[in-house]
Amino acid sequence: MSGWNAFLRDLFEQMPLILTGLGETLKLTVTISISGLLLGVVVFYFSQSHWAWVRHLIRAYISFFIGMPLIVLLFLMYYGLPQWGVSMSPFMVAVIGFTFNVAAYNAAYLTTAYNGLDHGEIEAARAQGFKPLQIFRFVTLPQVLRLSVPALTNQIICNLKDSSVAFLIQYTEFFARVQELAATNFQFFRAYLFAALVYLALVSLIVLAARFIEKRVVIPGVYR
Amino acid sequence: MALIEIRDLVKKFDRQVVLDGINLDVVEGEVKVVMGTSGCGKSTLLRCINRLVEPSSGTIHFRGQDITGHGVDVRALRQSIGFVFQQFALYRHLTVLDNVTLALRKLRGMSRAEAEEKALHELARLDMADHRDKYPAQTSGGQKQRAALARALAMDPAVVVLDEPTSALDPVMSREVAQLIDRLHRENVTMLCVTHDLLLAGSIADRVTFLDKGVIRAEDTIAHLSKHHPDEQVRAFFGCEENAR
Repeated sequence: MSGWNAFLRDLFEQMPLILTGLGETLKLTVTISISGLLLGVVVFYFSQSHWAWVRHLIRAYISFFIGMPLIVLLFLMYYGLPQWGVSMSPFMVAVIGFTFNVAAYNAAYLTTAYNGLDHGEIEAARAQGFKPLQIFRFVTLPQVLRLSVPALTNQIICNLKDSSVAFLIQYTEFFARVQELAATNFQFFRAYLFAALVYLALVSLIVLAARFIEKRVVIPGVYR
Repeated sequence: MALIEIRDLVKKFDRQVVLDGINLDVVEGEVKVVMGTSGCGKSTLLRCINRLVEPSSGTIHFRGQDITGHGVDVRALRQSIGFVFQQFALYRHLTVLDNVTLALRKLRGMSRAEAEEKALHELARLDMADHRDKYPAQTSGGQKQRAALARALAMDPAVVVLDEPTSALDPVMSREVAQLIDRLHRENVTMLCVTHDLLLAGSIADRVTFLDKGVIRAEDTIAHLSKHHPDEQVRAFFGCEENAR
């Protein structure tokens, strides 16, 4: 028990720093979840372009960012770009890197949902005289977003978990603070167990929110 | 002058000729019925009229203006043509009321209150006001059909185009649709209806146009086509109706 007591004493001592780190984790997760969704919607929109070259470009974008490990992208930007005179803060690199990566995944989820839509509705909207952007805004997007809620919320969970990678580019988020805690008392198992429980609790909150949203956005009479 | 004048209309998809020199007039206030077997080009013909499908050659005059050329405001044209699709194509994430108001608000610039007033008027006209808050998936086939008609009529179109209006309905609902089309006809709504439902055609129009393999083969009453048309194939098609009766 003395080991636990020592660990808890150190934990409480470093709690202000750990909470600051947790704040940074949440800030990064929220930022990349929003920016990743917005860019994902834009990428999805252009993936439906009637110009073949735009569709090819978007397909290449999605393949590139889904295919490239996130850590490579972050290292490329954080450690590689300064050699070309481009320096950014760890947070900025994390936001940009994650956004490009998350947007590619989100665009792929939205495309999957789009393929399941009744395309007669899109033709009906064209027949009514709507512009392509209006059709996207009023017919396509509301439906694909609803159908994609499980995948999109799952992506937010991934964003939270993957945000721990950002400590490798000097971004002092929650996991970086837990590393510091572990380094002070060498109680690695307890420190990482604590980190795991905190991540689990946060993921549980996201899952509960996701279920709430899923129930709210279901289209009456349409069974999934 | 006819509301719609189609002359020598040809539509090819690659090498396949779907419409091969169609000549057709739709006069204001009439119900024009075009019949034919599945795949004869009926739906393509309708889609050429509002440029959902681009004709390969020929002309379509709508209110005297050639709408097949460049420089035509296609979206304005489409707003003048109410299109009711075979599978109704209601926006499933919107209530019946919102299905009708969407175009009024976003295309006609009406306020929500104005659009709802107009939409409720059209829904009441088709006995759908009680179903205004239902989503399409919560309505029957006949109700979907009427909601789709209300959506088309709310835009005050010059003509309502109906693509196989009874193909997704049971016989009882089909009869209701026929009565509805009759009622709209009496209210002077111009309609162009394509169908292979002989019962429907016989109950909404005196004369029908027969389209076969992209060519108009005949135009007459069903009774005449079934008994006296020189082409055996035409007699056989319309003879089914006589047998059905």
